[in-house]
Amino acid sequence: MPRGFRSFHPFVLMLYYIAVIAGLMINQHPFFLLAAFICLVFVNLILDKGVELNKWKYMILFLSLFVLVLTPIFNQQGNIVLWTVFSREIYLEAIIQGFMIACTLSGILALFTTFSIVITSDKFLYMFSKVFPKWALILMLALRFVPLFRKRLSDIQDVQEMKGVSMKDGKLREKAQNGMLFIQILLTYSLEEAIQTADSMSARGYGLQKRSNYESYAWKLRDSYVLIYIIAFSLLIIIGWQLHESVLMLAPTLESIALEGNSWFYLIGWISLISLPIWTEGKEVMKWSFYQRDL
Amino acid sequence: MELLSARSLNFTYPKSSDQALTNIDFNVNEGDFMVLCGPSGSGKSTLVRLFKQELELHGERIGEIKYKGARLEDNDPFLLAKEIGMVFQDPENQIVMNTVMEELLFGMENLGFSSNEMRKKVAEIVHYFGFHHLLHQRTSELSGGEKQQVNLASILLLDPKILILDEPTAQLDPIAAKDFIHLLKQLNDEFGITIVIVEHRLNELFSIANRIVMLDKGQIKFDAKPRDAIKLFYSKMDAYLPEASQLYLAFMEAKEASNVPFTVKESKHWLSGMDITLRSTVDEEEASYINKTLLELKEIDFRYAKHTKPVLSNLSLAVHEGEWLAILGGNGTGKSTLLKIIAGLKTSQHGKIKYKGKKIKKMDQKRIGYLPQNPKLYFLHETLQEEYHALGEKHGKSDDEVFELVKEFQMESLLHRHPYDLSGGELQRAALVGILIGNPELLLLDEPTKGLDPAFKDEFAKVIQSVRKSGVTIVMVTHDIEFAAKHVTRCSMMFQGDVIVTEKTTTFLKENNYYTTMISRITKDSHVPTVVTVEEAKTHWLMKKELLSSV
Repeated sequence: MPRGFRSFHPFVLMLYYIAVIAGLMINQHPFFLLAAFICLVFVNLILDKGVELNKWKYMILFLSLFVLVLTPIFNQQGNIVLWTVFSREIYLEAIIQGFMIACTLSGILALFTTFSIVITSDKFLYMFSKVFPKWALILMLALRFVPLFRKRLSDIQDVQEMKGVSMKDGKLREKAQNGMLFIQILLTYSLEEAIQTADSMSARGYGLQKRSNYESYAWKLRDSYVLIYIIAFSLLIIIGWQLHESVLMLAPTLESIALEGNSWFYLIGWISLISLPIWTEGKEVMKWSFYQRDL
Repeated sequence: MELLSARSLNFTYPKSSDQALTNIDFNVNEGDFMVLCGPSGSGKSTLVRLFKQELELHGERIGEIKYKGARLEDNDPFLLAKEIGMVFQDPENQIVMNTVMEELLFGMENLGFSSNEMRKKVAEIVHYFGFHHLLHQRTSELSGGEKQQVNLASILLLDPKILILDEPTAQLDPIAAKDFIHLLKQLNDEFGITIVIVEHRLNELFSIANRIVMLDKGQIKFDAKPRDAIKLFYSKMDAYLPEASQLYLAFMEAKEASNVPFTVKESKHWLSGMDITLRSTVDEEEASYINKTLLELKEIDFRYAKHTKPVLSNLSLAVHEGEWLAILGGNGTGKSTLLKIIAGLKTSQHGKIKYKGKKIKKMDQKRIGYLPQNPKLYFLHETLQEEYHALGEKHGKSDDEVFELVKEFQMESLLHRHPYDLSGGELQRAALVGILIGNPELLLLDEPTKGLDPAFKDEFAKVIQSVRKSGVTIVMVTHDIEFAAKHVTRCSMMFQGDVIVTEKTTTFLKENNYYTTMISRITKDSHVPTVVTVEEAKTHWLMKKELLSSV
């Protein structure tokens, strides 16, 4: 993907995620959070047509309902009593609080569904290897061993099942015993084979000197622009938070929910930050549709 | 120019009384394509590993190894790692990284290449090897041939002067092996990269190599040009020669080394000057053959998951009682899956299975013996003795009965060894004994000849024939056409998840153009009777007289 949101440098993308998560946590205002969640749904739609989000929709729905119902029951702080149910007071503050927590959680989940689409494993490893180069190499080796072990274990199971040793039938004790035997074989066998892997590594000069690292992600000018964009809006959000413009005060007395004056300005800043993928990705979609129309 | 050399080199492994290598004098010149051959355990691998200093072989080394005139130890380790490249036997175990791209970069990163250098070199090599479609694939998803090519490419990226390959094609199917060897020839021809290759399968290598070195019991038996090597191989070690040469040597009285053909083309030329007719012989196999069906598969469909491509589709196959059936076919045609269905490890989604005329849902696994491609996976215990004892208990056999079987297969001396300390051939025999303790009626073999040297292959065939004589039916999945041609009664060809033809071995191989033995390719559509193996030629051909030799 040479263009669009995903084409930015992994560090820029990572910064976006950090900024948005931090924003979701500090902008504790129903409108700010609701706007954020709606924006993130659109981000999902534009990145993969919502396929990934769709897998999580019940999780998000269930979690939100859970929080929405339970917070007012357990949170007994506030001034405005709405109802009394079973001698428990239900406060308006608690309901608003529940709504905000639900929005925050849904927002974080909706953000994370895009995380695996945007920060693919190789990008993640790339960043990781910058900070911990040795650990990154071990992690990469381990990644390769996962499918290898899985395949070997299923081979062992097949061969042993033909011998009459299996984990499928028999008593639980026997099954467990056989399972342990299989793992033992898997490890002995894999250690034996790993000697060859080690040979192949040293034959290619592993450990002779400090390794260099293939820079698969070159820093481009547009990465700088987006970096400035993210930093600028993040600062704006922090200022808004410090000035309590983007936070709804619940105690000692409930503020008016309606946004006033400067709050609108910070809300627009917040939305601009979250919808960065929508601009960058949407631009590509627009370009494509114009291109097709021209044809 | 002399690139690598060894002077009176001796090597002994720790805790071993025998020398692995004795008095090796050996040199490799720039631009050589050298084949190192010899029986298993002759010290070939030890020798080539000594040339690669990084491998740090444990043991006592006496004598010198020189690279470009300087002792190996005195060379810059960085330079050695870069200029002496090594490819090993097992394609899977050499791969370190998760994706092809990472794997290609691995060596260069180790040696500290800069990003730009890497980018450029990868672009070049990907183009040369045609890897475009593989670059971002996971290495675990590649075929054996592709893996070995990635290994080679990863080493070539370091610009080696000399490539050492330790049986690189032993685990590959014949087509992939041929491709790989031609790739080596190309590298040798076009870039002048010196190549030292350890190999048993010399069919293709004979016409490509410029030197053949034979090792036996740790000593160099000879070091000769391929033409001269023919004489040295002849009579005692025929199995190492290309089949084309074997055929010539079996029939010609005057064995002129300069006339011995290496390739199909040369052989055809030689035969064009011969007058050969068919000797009338009774086909013994034919006479004693009874067509009684043991196992019948009908309209079998199988897929691993709902939305994946079917692996087997509408497959039908009949296995006769007492036969040795070979299932041939390329990679990914479903051979191994078919074996798993027969073994009852997988259940088909559609179709019928009949065993001894009775319809069954799933095979009874007690009746079946299964020899896996990798016999190491068969053993659960520390020694063979323990393994056999446990198996005997399971199948209600006394230790004496088990020992009878052990004696029959001459395994007494190995009983106290750990299975992993056995050689490839021994390991296979050990697993076979274990399987036979269960008295199977049907024996399934999955690629049994992979990585075996010619001598072990013949021995294995003898063992299987004796098992067959005791009434066991054998179904074998294999790529080894030469092996199948020599020993198997019928061949089935698989293509796209279906058995497209099942025929008697000779008929099958005589009709095929591509999927057949070298001898069949030589004799097909010529004026001489078509045969598929040298043995068949020996029994069926009657040579009238030699026409004017035009070779």
